Amino acid sequence: MQNGTASANGAIVDLKSVVKSYGELRAVDGVSLTIPSGICYALLGPNGAGKSTLSKMIGAMLAADSGSLSVVGFDPWKNQSEVKTRLGVVLQDDAFDEDLDVWSNLEIYGMFFWLRGKALQEKMRGLLRFMELEGREHVPIQELSGGMRRRLMIARALLNDPQLLILDEPTTGLDPQVRHAIWSALRKLKASGMTILLTTHYMEEAAQLADCVGIVNKGRLIAEDSPEELIAKNLPRFVLEFDAQEDGAATAALIKDLQAEQHGDRGFAFSNDEALLLSSLRNNALRDGVVRRSSLEDVFLKLTGRSLDE
Amino acid sequence: MSNPPEATPTLPETGVSPPSSGLSAPPAGMNAAPPSKMSPPPMPSQLSRIAAVWYRHFRVYCTSLIANATPAILEPLFFQIAIGFGVGRYLDRTFNGLDYATFMAPGILGMTALYTASFEATHATFVRMRYQKTYSAMLATPLTRRDIFLGELLWCSTKGLLYSAIVAVVLALFGNIRSPYAVLIPIVGFFTAMAFAGLSFLVTSVVKNINQFQYYFTAFLTPLVYVSGLMFPVQELPYGLYWGAYFLPMFHVIETFRLVTTGFASTSVSWAVYCPLILLAMAFIFGWLGVRAMEKRLTA
Repeated sequence: MQNGTASANGAIVDLKSVVKSYGELRAVDGVSLTIPSGICYALLGPNGAGKSTLSKMIGAMLAADSGSLSVVGFDPWKNQSEVKTRLGVVLQDDAFDEDLDVWSNLEIYGMFFWLRGKALQEKMRGLLRFMELEGREHVPIQELSGGMRRRLMIARALLNDPQLLILDEPTTGLDPQVRHAIWSALRKLKASGMTILLTTHYMEEAAQLADCVGIVNKGRLIAEDSPEELIAKNLPRFVLEFDAQEDGAATAALIKDLQAEQHGDRGFAFSNDEALLLSSLRNNALRDGVVRRSSLEDVFLKLTGRSLDE
Repeated sequence: MSNPPEATPTLPETGVSPPSSGLSAPPAGMNAAPPSKMSPPPMPSQLSRIAAVWYRHFRVYCTSLIANATPAILEPLFFQIAIGFGVGRYLDRTFNGLDYATFMAPGILGMTALYTASFEATHATFVRMRYQKTYSAMLATPLTRRDIFLGELLWCSTKGLLYSAIVAVVLALFGNIRSPYAVLIPIVGFFTAMAFAGLSFLVTSVVKNINQFQYYFTAFLTPLVYVSGLMFPVQELPYGLYWGAYFLPMFHVIETFRLVTTGFASTSVSWAVYCPLILLAMAFIFGWLGVRAMEKRLTA
């Protein structure tokens, strides 16, 4: 019998050469990745890169065309209920029952795990407190703000004490206060030992939360490392960013001179020598120029291509 | 797997669990500690999972009980008052040995179960799938696609049971129920609803938008009800057309209701005793095909 915890190598998620196509489109094109227990793994990628498809296959909601998947020790598609009993999933659609209140929605969701009675009610109280929704028990869902709904989705996903929490773009469309509150909650969950899989297209979210970032583009995992290592391995430490809006010989010469790249209306010059970049900034009277540390966003743009049609 | 079996699944991480939640108030503006972490619960059985789907529909339905149930029950009763009693007054003959309103009663019951289940398995199911994303949320829990639609089928059948029972009580007050076997009406209503929910799932699994259900209702269900023995005995159809009626699913439903409301003497064909068996077969075959079709239709 499988014991339903981590697989032999201690991984909560273990994918090998996973492929998923929708008709002609290869949404996921041979992804292999491993998520050890207790870490936060962020799948970072542009819209349509295959992040959601990957997380749905890991979440036992979608079958892979080929490749092998192991999630909490099981093949997720062959043991859907067994795997999903051990997962917490936060999707992009909240799908609450709008006419019911917060409490009833949680009660019904608990029933899907066959959780009921006093144990469930205590759990619900604890989670509402954890997600700062105390006192909203009897508010109808339709009266909740977007931020409260998202927090309630996370509370709901934790009802069954999951071994793996999957979050598909958990802070998209939220204001900064709510975003930071959610990050804070996720950090606490990680500290308590929970394994988290996050998809996002916010660099800051990945940088703030993830121990490991996998960059996905066109269905492929093109880079994978800690946020710091991703930057260190792919780019010099500093970047001079400036306004390269005006066309013309002067701007072109400047870009050539600094060995800068131009993306849209911004120019980027990378170097490990901060002083050199600062003197370039002073000497060339650059418009709207700034010298800063290279960020995950720079890596992301470098690896996934700069232009929109890529 | 080579893993040694364990008595209970435990979390793989070795870190100490935080103390149980809520012992100390969190500082203002900060999250409380996460609630104490335990192992996930055991996997619910398939029966529990189907029951949970049913329970969700029941809870949501009960929030607006009166508004939900009233039209579904009043419509067949108005039909009986207007046609059964109203038009019946002008008919100077008996129907299978009964007055017109009493003859119509089984058809009214069949119609109630049919429309209740068909609406639930078309419009309501489509809204849950496309607009409310109810099934997407369910798919993120231990429920499988099959659990979801078996639960849905069970819920449609339950509504058929309840509504046919309520309509039967009113028909009994009108004096249109003449047999002690009428206590079986809710059961017949249950299987009628199951058969038509299954049939309706087949339609729901192929429609592109919600307006296409109009074809199913106006071009299939409504004529089906009218030619299956609701308003006249099918053996009085001209030119041998009654042979066709024997192949319509609603015919067996109405004859089964006739057996339990007014007895064998009032049935339309000599082999009406087989109608309950045909109804049962339809319920399981259409139900199964419908569930299978919806499983394939539901995307994650």
